[in-house]
Amino acid sequence: MGETIDCHFWNPNLGIEDDLEFIYEDVGSGIELRRPVFTVEALDKIIKGIKQARKDYLLNSDIPKVLDVIGRVNDLWMNLAYKGRKIAREVLPLVTGFSVEMVESWGFDHFLRILKKENLPLFGKLKADNFKKFTKLGDGLVRAYGKSNVSHSNYNPEVIGHICAGNILGLAAFEMVMDKLVDAATWVKVPSEEPVFGAMYARSIEEVDPKLAYTIAVLPFESGNTDVKEFLFSKSDLVRATGGEQARRGLSLMSEKYKVPVAGHWHKFSFITIAREYMNGRAGEIAELVSLDVSAWDQQGCFSPQEIFVESGGDVSPMEFAELLAGEMETTSRALPKGSNSGKMQVLDGYYQYFKKEMMGEPVKIFPSPTHQWLVIYDGNTANLEPSPLFRVIRVKPVNDIMEIPGLVKPIGEFLQTVGIAIPKDRLIPFADAMGDAGATNIKTISSMTLQKAWEPWDGRFPLHELFEHDNVRWVSIDTHDIDTELKAALERKRSIVDQRLKFDRLQQKEHSAMNA
Amino acid sequence: MVRFPTDEWIKTFKEELNKNKTYEEVAKTWEGDFLFVVTPDEALKKEVVFYVDLWHGKCRDAYLVKGKKKAAFVFSGPYSNWKKVINGELDPIRGLIRGMFTVDGDSKVIIDQSKAAQELVNTASKIPVDFEV
Repeated sequence: MGETIDCHFWNPNLGIEDDLEFIYEDVGSGIELRRPVFTVEALDKIIKGIKQARKDYLLNSDIPKVLDVIGRVNDLWMNLAYKGRKIAREVLPLVTGFSVEMVESWGFDHFLRILKKENLPLFGKLKADNFKKFTKLGDGLVRAYGKSNVSHSNYNPEVIGHICAGNILGLAAFEMVMDKLVDAATWVKVPSEEPVFGAMYARSIEEVDPKLAYTIAVLPFESGNTDVKEFLFSKSDLVRATGGEQARRGLSLMSEKYKVPVAGHWHKFSFITIAREYMNGRAGEIAELVSLDVSAWDQQGCFSPQEIFVESGGDVSPMEFAELLAGEMETTSRALPKGSNSGKMQVLDGYYQYFKKEMMGEPVKIFPSPTHQWLVIYDGNTANLEPSPLFRVIRVKPVNDIMEIPGLVKPIGEFLQTVGIAIPKDRLIPFADAMGDAGATNIKTISSMTLQKAWEPWDGRFPLHELFEHDNVRWVSIDTHDIDTELKAALERKRSIVDQRLKFDRLQQKEHSAMNA
Repeated sequence: MVRFPTDEWIKTFKEELNKNKTYEEVAKTWEGDFLFVVTPDEALKKEVVFYVDLWHGKCRDAYLVKGKKKAAFVFSGPYSNWKKVINGELDPIRGLIRGMFTVDGDSKVIIDQSKAAQELVNTASKIPVDFEV
């Protein structure tokens, strides 16, 4: 390809680039990434630039106009022939380590759907008192936990900063869009693991509406660059950050120092619960759906499942389900292969750890992938919660009754996030109530764990409201009010992704064989 | 001058909306009726509800509701926020995002018809108005 990809974006008319040095990184296939070395002087001009653009343009634009721009930008990205998408298809697998199939299906087709204008949330604040029990919102249900206690409130933020973790593609784009809905100028620190898409998305906004794009700056600086981070903090009304424990500690200190509130989304634990009612003739379909949750983003997301609890008493036992899941993991992994950073060592580590347990007579059975692409472990030790080595390593555990689960996970309540579910309607609400009490925030139909809906809260807070106010209310959502319809739709979606891709691969193989014959 | 919120005001709104060619164009696919609920605050003692029937770029009916009435969408907020919208000081969608108004009904439709919503407000802001306070 032989191309240089810029990882930064701001209004080019600010005339800063000539004064900056750049670092070039060869990522293979003739592609190099270009990142600026920031100075405080340059950042000062950039921040003044986005503030001015906000004042001159964003504040004078009505929301329908902003929504229209977002809609047109997304139409560009949903078009397979769009030049940005073509470049991203080449570059993103190289820089992220995810397979091109994963980037295409989960990254573009599904993540960008969240940003379609008709899917965007229009409510920034809901009255918690109206949601004291699970109540309809969007196509799902939400419930408010806790009493309102406002620690931060600013309904006119001028500049919002975003520090994005590298495990999920497209977060920077989501943040830019949210900020425009709240009339704020935006700076985004894109992650070093994926420094490309944010700037590409901002440039596509520039194609549609340059003035709106110039309220945005995409800044690919190193996490350890404290001077840059401190300067940007000092110029922001709020910073939303995603990251691990180290990021949490560092940013909390900076928040205190500059009296700038941080909306933090830190390390989380997510898991799946399957009720016995689905462990019958539908168990194979359930395994199909679960295999997508385990495979999506190679299990790198905070919403990726780390364990699966299967309720005993159905026609299919939890161990039999583990075997079914292993079969589906192989199929799904052929359609959505792991990327170059496949975590093969983690899969092998998991294998040897559980192989030893199996040999020692523990109630463990391993269902390995022939090529170490994934690993399913049946583990009869229900009570011990252990983080998965990730990279498509998953444990299936039996549980006598799903209502035992909230008690099992309560000790790690502050880390709980997404619970993937296949639970019949009549048992779902009591389970969700108890999981909300235990600390979980997002209850989602299996196969959709990594597919956030725009109306859903994120870690207990609504994405727009969090940019205005922090009130200590924890929102818990169920992504559907009709689980069986949702499961049916999920199965159709799964088959459209996996089966069609496998059919395409088989066609390609046939053509290849014919050419070689 | 027409006093807000009164039956006279909503009837004037209907007349003005039906003269608005821009609204007719941007709302040509809109199908659905609204309840505009003005909730009490310091300046308004009692809740006022307007019914507005919007259909393909025209307002078929509009009146002050006495008693109970249902509609596809219910857009509600305190009197002081309605005042800001009618004075052109607040974009109603910005008001929704900030929790100053709430909407019951499919918000996807509202987003899809956001230009029509904007034109409803533009029409309302052109009516010479006299407020309670």
